[in-house]
Amino acid sequence: MRTRICALLAVMQAGLAVAAAPYESTYVPQPTEATLILGVAVFTGDGGALDRADVLLKDGRIAAIAEYGTPAADLQTTRVIDGSGKWLTPGVIDVHSHLGVYPSPGVASTSDGNEMTAANTAEVWAEHSVWTQDPQFGLALAGGVTTLHILPGSANLFGGRGVTLKNVPARTMQDMKFPGAPHSLKMACGENPKRVYGERMQAPMTRMGNVAGYRAAWAEAAAYRDQRQQFESGEAEAPPERNLTLDTLAAVLDGEILVHNHCYRADEMAVMMDVAQEFGYAITAFHHAVESYKIADLLAEANICSAVWADWWGFKLEAFDGVSQNAALIHAAGACAIIHSDSAEGIQRLNQETAKAVAAGRRMGMAISDAEAMAWITGNAAKALGLDDETGTLSVGKAADAVLWDRHPFSVYARAEKVWIDGHLYYDRADPARQPVSDFDLGQTVAGGER
Amino acid sequence: MKAGCRFIAMGSMSAAAWLLWLLATPGWAELAIVGARVYTVAAPEPLENATVLVANGRIEQVGVELPVPFEYRRIDAAGKIVTPALIESYSHFGLIEIEGEATTNDASLLEYPLGPGFDVSLALNPASTLIAVNRMDGVSRAITAPRPGVDALAGLAASVSLGTGRFLLEPKTALFGHIGAASAELAGGSRAAVMQRLGRALDEAARFSPSRYRPGPGDYSRHDMAALKTYLRSGKPLVLAVDRAAEIRRAISLAGAHDLRLIVLGGAEAWRVRDALAAVGAAVIVRTHDNLPRSFETLGARLDNAALLHEAGVDVVFTAAETHNARNLRQLAGNAVAYGLPWSAALDGLTRRAAQVWGMDDVGTLTPGSAADLVVWTGDPLELTTWAEQVIIDGQAMPMQSRQTQLFERYKDLSKPYGYPR
Repeated sequence: MRTRICALLAVMQAGLAVAAAPYESTYVPQPTEATLILGVAVFTGDGGALDRADVLLKDGRIAAIAEYGTPAADLQTTRVIDGSGKWLTPGVIDVHSHLGVYPSPGVASTSDGNEMTAANTAEVWAEHSVWTQDPQFGLALAGGVTTLHILPGSANLFGGRGVTLKNVPARTMQDMKFPGAPHSLKMACGENPKRVYGERMQAPMTRMGNVAGYRAAWAEAAAYRDQRQQFESGEAEAPPERNLTLDTLAAVLDGEILVHNHCYRADEMAVMMDVAQEFGYAITAFHHAVESYKIADLLAEANICSAVWADWWGFKLEAFDGVSQNAALIHAAGACAIIHSDSAEGIQRLNQETAKAVAAGRRMGMAISDAEAMAWITGNAAKALGLDDETGTLSVGKAADAVLWDRHPFSVYARAEKVWIDGHLYYDRADPARQPVSDFDLGQTVAGGER
Repeated sequence: MKAGCRFIAMGSMSAAAWLLWLLATPGWAELAIVGARVYTVAAPEPLENATVLVANGRIEQVGVELPVPFEYRRIDAAGKIVTPALIESYSHFGLIEIEGEATTNDASLLEYPLGPGFDVSLALNPASTLIAVNRMDGVSRAITAPRPGVDALAGLAASVSLGTGRFLLEPKTALFGHIGAASAELAGGSRAAVMQRLGRALDEAARFSPSRYRPGPGDYSRHDMAALKTYLRSGKPLVLAVDRAAEIRRAISLAGAHDLRLIVLGGAEAWRVRDALAAVGAAVIVRTHDNLPRSFETLGARLDNAALLHEAGVDVVFTAAETHNARNLRQLAGNAVAYGLPWSAALDGLTRRAAQVWGMDDVGTLTPGSAADLVVWTGDPLELTTWAEQVIIDGQAMPMQSRQTQLFERYKDLSKPYGYPR
């Protein structure tokens, strides 16, 4: 995929007019300044840590990571930042966000996150609801978030397509869209679909109704895909009539769209794994997954990530068995753990949520390092979005998506000082000119200060 | 019967659980917590390598190099931090088990129009699983309140203890209400109607007489008016959930006109009217993380609300505003520190100041004679990677267990064949 992105960037940088496909990314990396961060503690995002290193960001990439004091750059042409006593991590990635689709202010006219009009709305795309002036984007940036995955809500069996955005101030959604990132399909288990539709005396009304709904849709999608293939291979004279819902599902079967499945209970996740097996698709991640710890071995074996909260529990019955050690237990079983926010507040401090989750494990005697836990909001999250070749870790050649923290990021007192996206300094706590202000905020009661 | 139950329980207990059970049993209440850095909160500076003696449910003595009587059970706390236990200033403990299950939810009224007469103490469930989950993270007391329901006045809150003994401490400890978009909708569509309704009700309640009261449509019932009259005479505070600066000013006027002590709940824009709040001695219950312009009433929300209020002399206390995770109080207070509140003021807002605001005279500091509600922390209690090693409430060492630790124990080793017990 990197090749694809690089090719796209090359074309853009050459200044050629690109006739992009509909809804394609028009993101353009901003000018960068070669920056060397000296003597900084590093969490690499893949479980690694360096006590004291020099890190060079150049031309939008991580150009070098060297032991402290090793000349890594021409200091005449490079901005040098003293990183002593500070921490550098990959840009934080939130795999479960509704920013832009459930923006602030959260009023009826901005509530665009869930097309609750049918159990299967695989035809809707979250990106078509994104309001780029949502003030929450800037607040998430101040919390170190460089990449976010915007999902439709969970009232439907199939909620629609999710989109991955770069957290950059922009006039259009396309300007934020992460180039080359695959779409996702939001699916939902359990209480939400059966409640929303059951109350209207529609299917599904039960969990078995949920599963029947998934299976019927996948069967239809498989037939649609077959008809399309038959037409492409000349076996059929005409293609099937275009169906936007089935387009999405067929793309999942073709492996082009990643399945992100809202599911709380362990037994339901196991059923969903069987649904996936029956119809030949892969589940990339279970979201919320408060009971993943009960089947962490099965999830490890199936190579399915769990995107979880640090400690949310009990707000509905299917969340009643939530434990603070969920992420730690998933990780210890060798499965992929991710801390997600699903919250415009939580997204501002995913580092803190991760700290709580790893501490909860330690409290019960589990030995997990800070560096390993940091992967829960960086490297593992990038993997679940299909972007691990591009971002999520501090390694040479990857995008210069990075956060400089004023102290250990698992301290409650830590704050992001600087945030780079593709090497461009988008946020600087010391420089109000580098703190995004959305259109909405202009002329309103000025929050100012430390919003 | 009782002894039999205990015998059965002991049979399935581990040695550690047995010890904790013993500690939690009356008669084993003499404790010496030795060697910690102790923040009494009564004094500005901590005591290093100090000893806390606990007897009969009370703090007996706090000091350095205190002799420990031999019969006292020693808790070695060298390298640890001891503080008073934490007080959650707004919760629904004992009222909500599972938010999404109406049958477990007694915090608000959706239909029957009971206003100020709604007394949540009559629904409290001391067997709630939320109590142990939050207790083992250092929360010992809470205000459990009605949540905004069908009326601008939500009802009467209670104070509770999360210990293993008594749950209800005091019913009718404050009257809760809300001013803003939600209450405006209930009052017909305008905030002005809310203020008029509240003002009129408080005026009429002061001179309420059941025989002369003729409620019109939408007026409070006799029961509500009687409750309001009793409340007005009780001297208890009026807690109003209110965010917009202009409405906070109106809340100050309303409380002043009726000689009520105002406590602002939330107060996203309270920092804008901090001097007015300080002038009337109104406390603010801050939820630090509330920095979103989530509505047109919170456009001025900001993370340093607590710091600005404190600087202006306003009493700042805290709420997680999420009963299941009241344990996150310390994270909220920690973030207030990250955004300018002095550390000592944050601890104060979780302990002494909260006790003062709620009239809990017996807790909040580690002072001889006060109730022994305290926590031994592995480090800075406001940090995220520390935890409560031992919670003591009313002088009793609490079992450091909850439904969640039981689930953890059951599933921590998946290689064991499934069965009960695992």
